[in-house]
Amino acid sequence: MNPQFSDNGTMNTRTLNFGWSGAWLAASALLAGPLAPSTAHDTNTTARSRQIVAEVRYNRDVRPILSDHCFACHGPDANQRQADLRLDRREEAWAAGVFDAEQPEASEFLQRVTSSDPDEVMPPPHFLKPLSPSQIEILKRWVAAGAPYEDHWSYVAPVKAEVPPRVHPIDYWVDRSIAAQGLPAGPQAEKETLLRRLFLDLVGIPPTPAEQTEFILDQRPDAFERCVDRLLNSPQFGERMAAAWLDVVRYADTVGYHGDQNQNVFPYRDWVISAFNRNLPFDQFTLWQIAGDQLEQPTTETLIASAFNRLNMMTREGGAQPDEYLAKYAADRVRTVAGAWLGSTLGCAECHDHKYDPFTMEDFYSMAAFFADLRQWGVYQDYEYTPNPDLRGWSNDHPFPPELVVEVPYLQERIRRLEQRRAETIADSLRRHPPDEARWQSWQGEIKAFLQSYPDGWAFADGLKLEGESPTGRCVDQAWRWEGDKIDALTIVLPPTTFPILAVSIEILPDDSAGGRLFSAHEMQLHCAFAVESAADGKGRPVAVEFAAADHALPRYANTFEILGIQGGWKIAATVPRVRGVWQFAEPLRLADGQVLKLKVTGNRARHWRISLSPLVPQRLDRPDAWQQQLGQWQNGVASPAEATEFVGRQWALSGDSGGELAATIKSIERAIRECRDGRWPVQISQTQAPRETRILPRGNWQDPTGKVVQPATPHFLPKGHVQASSVSRRLNRLDLAKWLVAPENPLTARVQMNRLWKQFFGVGLSAVLDDVGIQGQYPSHPELLDWLAVEFRESGWNFKHMVRLIVTSSAYQRSSIPTPEQLRLDPTNRWLSRQNARRLEAEAVRDNALAIAGLLNLDMGGPPVFPYQPDHYYEHLQFPDRRYVASTDDRQYRRGVYVHWQRTFLHPMLANFDAPSREECTALRTEANTPQQSLTLLNDPTYVEAARVLAAHLIQEQADDTARVESLYRRAVARPPNAGERDSLMKFLTKQRAHFATNLPDAGRLVRIGLAPTPVDIPPEELAAWTQTVRAVLNLHETITRY
Amino acid sequence: MTREISTERIVRAQRRAFLAHSGYGIGAAALGMLLRGDRPLAAADYGQEGTPRGALKEFHHTPRARRIIHLCMAGGPSQFESFDHKPKLTELHGQLFPASLTQGQQLAQLQNTELRVRGPFTKFARHGESGQEISELFPQIATVADDICIVRSLFTEQINHDPAHAFFNSGSIIKGRPSMGSWLLYGLGAETENLPGYVVLTSHSKAGGAQPISARQWSAGFLPSRFQGVKFESKGTPVHYLGNPEGVCQSAQRELIEQVNTLNQIANERWLDSEAETRINQYELAFRMQTSIPELTDFSGESPEILDLYGIKTPGDGSFASQCLLARRLAERGVRMIQIYHRAWDHHGNIDREMRIAAEEVDRASAALVKDLKQRGMLDDTIVLWAGEFGRTPMGQGSGRDHHILSMSGWLAGGGIQPGITVGETDELGYRAVVDPISVHDLHATLLYLFGIDHLRLTYRYQGRDFRLTDVFGNVVTKLVRS
Repeated sequence: MNPQFSDNGTMNTRTLNFGWSGAWLAASALLAGPLAPSTAHDTNTTARSRQIVAEVRYNRDVRPILSDHCFACHGPDANQRQADLRLDRREEAWAAGVFDAEQPEASEFLQRVTSSDPDEVMPPPHFLKPLSPSQIEILKRWVAAGAPYEDHWSYVAPVKAEVPPRVHPIDYWVDRSIAAQGLPAGPQAEKETLLRRLFLDLVGIPPTPAEQTEFILDQRPDAFERCVDRLLNSPQFGERMAAAWLDVVRYADTVGYHGDQNQNVFPYRDWVISAFNRNLPFDQFTLWQIAGDQLEQPTTETLIASAFNRLNMMTREGGAQPDEYLAKYAADRVRTVAGAWLGSTLGCAECHDHKYDPFTMEDFYSMAAFFADLRQWGVYQDYEYTPNPDLRGWSNDHPFPPELVVEVPYLQERIRRLEQRRAETIADSLRRHPPDEARWQSWQGEIKAFLQSYPDGWAFADGLKLEGESPTGRCVDQAWRWEGDKIDALTIVLPPTTFPILAVSIEILPDDSAGGRLFSAHEMQLHCAFAVESAADGKGRPVAVEFAAADHALPRYANTFEILGIQGGWKIAATVPRVRGVWQFAEPLRLADGQVLKLKVTGNRARHWRISLSPLVPQRLDRPDAWQQQLGQWQNGVASPAEATEFVGRQWALSGDSGGELAATIKSIERAIRECRDGRWPVQISQTQAPRETRILPRGNWQDPTGKVVQPATPHFLPKGHVQASSVSRRLNRLDLAKWLVAPENPLTARVQMNRLWKQFFGVGLSAVLDDVGIQGQYPSHPELLDWLAVEFRESGWNFKHMVRLIVTSSAYQRSSIPTPEQLRLDPTNRWLSRQNARRLEAEAVRDNALAIAGLLNLDMGGPPVFPYQPDHYYEHLQFPDRRYVASTDDRQYRRGVYVHWQRTFLHPMLANFDAPSREECTALRTEANTPQQSLTLLNDPTYVEAARVLAAHLIQEQADDTARVESLYRRAVARPPNAGERDSLMKFLTKQRAHFATNLPDAGRLVRIGLAPTPVDIPPEELAAWTQTVRAVLNLHETITRY
Repeated sequence: MTREISTERIVRAQRRAFLAHSGYGIGAAALGMLLRGDRPLAAADYGQEGTPRGALKEFHHTPRARRIIHLCMAGGPSQFESFDHKPKLTELHGQLFPASLTQGQQLAQLQNTELRVRGPFTKFARHGESGQEISELFPQIATVADDICIVRSLFTEQINHDPAHAFFNSGSIIKGRPSMGSWLLYGLGAETENLPGYVVLTSHSKAGGAQPISARQWSAGFLPSRFQGVKFESKGTPVHYLGNPEGVCQSAQRELIEQVNTLNQIANERWLDSEAETRINQYELAFRMQTSIPELTDFSGESPEILDLYGIKTPGDGSFASQCLLARRLAERGVRMIQIYHRAWDHHGNIDREMRIAAEEVDRASAALVKDLKQRGMLDDTIVLWAGEFGRTPMGQGSGRDHHILSMSGWLAGGGIQPGITVGETDELGYRAVVDPISVHDLHATLLYLFGIDHLRLTYRYQGRDFRLTDVFGNVVTKLVRS
């Protein structure tokens, strides 16, 4: 039974034994047409089928029966084959003598399927899949017609049939099928419905009221096409299209196994979005992902694309067996490539020849062999019992190599914006709210005096003392040498200063005792902590450090990301010529009488140190000398705040004389800038190494070394094309595979992609089983149309936008989705597309839609994953390392769903509740449930409550009266005005809520403060709360999360 | 899209079309009644029923069990200090482990190391009339020896925590396969509409080295997501998004939900969309969940004797004991499957200290659950399953034991399980199950059997294939079934 109809309760599933063919039966049973397969136990069917012209087609009618009921034992899997009979191939079936050309009705095949003897009948009773009378009827007719076979539809090259001129090719095929079924074609959808549909389908966000008005007033004949072109060129198009691709390639931000650590792959996600936006031809799109590192001239971009090969789940669990996991990774890749490009379930052939499709185990492992050259590790860690010399010292916090550091436009743009904000903040504080003249002057005087003595901005700490007896310090040439034994822990008492200390610089210099290196060991990790100690009580008070950074530091990691700064530890290689680190204090430190500043050092191995102090802070702590020019200028000029440069203004802001608020703002901006990591981020990429030997693993057992060694090869029964010639002379590689996937002779790729594209615009594929176009898949409703689209796609230069434009400009796409009684009666599942299908928004779009309606959506593109509000403790069961979820605290809270952090083992509950897949496995078809958890999410997730209260405030502020507000609310949410019933009902509700909150003011105050967004102070909380409830009602509507 | 929903859609669309034409819809009065929803719990709500409410139209045979509580001892408890007494290990303690047994077999952290026998650090004694052998770490479980069936011959295929949990739950290590709870729910439906039919709990442990678990362990996989396990948080609001937003009291929330559904109905006169009808239902259910879960987690009606039986110090504190009581309350309310993950058993080192802590945390409450179900007459049709995702090696690993897949122990009780027996044996070193070996697939087949399901006939078509919980394996272990 086709799962399309596998539900149990509500419908007589017995009428649906043929999946779509069953539905088609319902529609066509009373019509003259091809044979309608009748149904088991349906008393009317015999009568019905007699009325029908008997034309049995193997692919449509017969193969599904044989495949489901016979091939498991009489099909491709040689190991399971019974009685040496193979029914999936004509020659072998006939050769076995089960058919009889002279007397078809006497053939053994028919005798066996019609037998009433339990020992005789096929399929045998214990197989639990008996044939229905109507299926037997079909088989009888098929045999009577000479048991003709056809090649499986998806394994033969698609052919583009002729379409008459001036007819939209899609409508040509769809209208033909509608007419053939005697179905009434539905009317075009209303303009407002159409616009919302187009927006949600092409860009995943709804049209604003202004866009609605513009479109509705646009009377030009090509108004719709203009809108299509505008949306196709919108950057949001790529974001909408990317989601489906990210599902099939199982893109996620974590590795999936065990500790489910972070992985660095988001530049790949951004690349996919950009590829759709630039309309990168699908053949290039394919080549770069599978073999971006093997192109003649790989570029950074093609290497980012090659992260595709690194999206498999990975482990670093203690005790994991490296070879076992390499086998898992290999199988994962085969399933994904076969699923994503070929729509085929090759995974079955890991343990045995495929039961239904012609894929063999050898095909499976030959496909795996293409990826045997990837540089990878079974276990991404270095355990003593499974040592990993390449990853010596690797821990749970390390990345998953190999990686490439790439530029990230989002981060670069963010740095630019933050730097601009810093400049504006400083300018604002200096010019519009000038500082107190006296304080400014005294501060500047102090700094200038300091610069007089120390023109390079750093005062050498020449009077320092070491606590304890050993080691001792000796000052030579403006640097200290530690002499004595135990230099690993030092307590250094810094000399008193005349200036407030804001930064401390530590330089480690080469030392003769280490042969001119910094120290004798390979590396060291310094920990530096500062404390102010008072002579009065001898107690130390730690000095808060804002940040510390060095011009050289070996990387340290926390949950895969490199730790910013050295304040938590400074790892130094002994071989660098010299290193310098700078500590920025949170506040300027002015020592009182009797106080000293102590520096406590542990982990030290170096003897030659220079410590300097400054009342200033370099803009970049890792480039502490870069300020020379600005210091020089300052020395020679600057008097008033109005004339101050940004450099001086920043020093003023951080000086402590400017007031804490300004300093706090600047520090928070600079923290945000640092988090942008200079606009670069690592991405996991493909790298080649000598290929590992690939063997067939008997029954998938990775410990069994007896299987045959295989070379990379494409599935044996599909056309080889150019691969044939190459494989004679050399080992095939991933580039060969990629080229084969998009070769003209490949019958699957273009069809599979077009079938999935169709689903995005009609809610259902032309062949509804998107993840299997094999024998057990579904014969397409419109095979000629699917073929036409496939060939057109290839011939257009694999032009995605062209195909999208074709689809949405068809009348079929633009029909109303409201069913007429006649359509429901004749074609309840809308198999023949006489109307559009309603479609619930995908998880990401449910979120984007609500934020867009509220005017909260942040359309920034790309960059590191973002973290929406999430229930507490959700990650409490994630260890190695322990995880704490911190929701984004700024405008990143309102980014689109495609950018949400994708934690494979604990996907964000909002996404999970709306059926987003965990992306552990290639997913072509998301389930689409309708559950109470979804209702709870829309009702109570702070994201939706916040959206409601923000929109409520907009409505109150922007619209004149309640009627206008309700009108605007509906237009924003569902792109149509409310009808009278809706308006009246909502008004009554509003009145009730007003009354409720008027007597529950504290409740109102709490409700209107949910979320980060500021709450307007000029709206009474009870009014805002009442409207928040009203907006919540509309944001929770089924229509709001459905595209009609 | 979901294949299943589309069927509902069609039928509902038809019904909707009919209702639209006849001018009849769900009346506001009826809706209001549904929304008030906090119906008193009555036996009828989850009581007698002759037919399943899921994909199965009828039971394949008379069911023995109606619900299951799976006490998952996550991390993998040692069988040699719990239920598999191996004096030989004591005798050979410290000697080289016979290579003939381990040759070519999987090892986890003992890879590439010298393998030596480790004797148990506990004593065993016989308990109850049945004389079952149970280690001294579990004195309370020993008191229900006559009610439980000890299994010493379980084995699995996956030697690392993550895939082993996946395998124990879904019978596969390929992601996206449904867990056993989801299969049960799919096949039989739940006996409650106010609560999720499959609930997952976790409990806090003081033992070190908790291993991560993953939501995929209770995933519905390719089954529709309404069959997935719903994990209750052990702290704060138990179900995500269950609590009303700040400042919205229950009555305001109820008014809101009524308003949503009124508007949904008006809009659907235009769209004639069957999914909108389902949606209306789901909002009703959501509200019922909002009202029934606080009642569920309110332990104030539990007597001091019951709290004492389980050993609960502070009800609702997230301890294993408190979660066991919650599990009983869930079972009473018609939840089909309840899992409690107690992550305390990965004893690679310091096993003599850490395992004592873990055992003390679960012993009393595990036994109390059996006793409590029994005194309420629920043990007859409630299965209790106590097991880890794998066992531990008879070889030592420093001061502990490594993961082991060829033998593991656990116990079952109630729901048609034969009480007071021990099934299966391992070899004298406990390395491999040799008498009545029971695979995870066999266990699954047996559990389904107890629920009245033939594991061969509960299938779901996905990617062109009819999948089962037991894949292509599994035999019902009749010895486990009460005669």
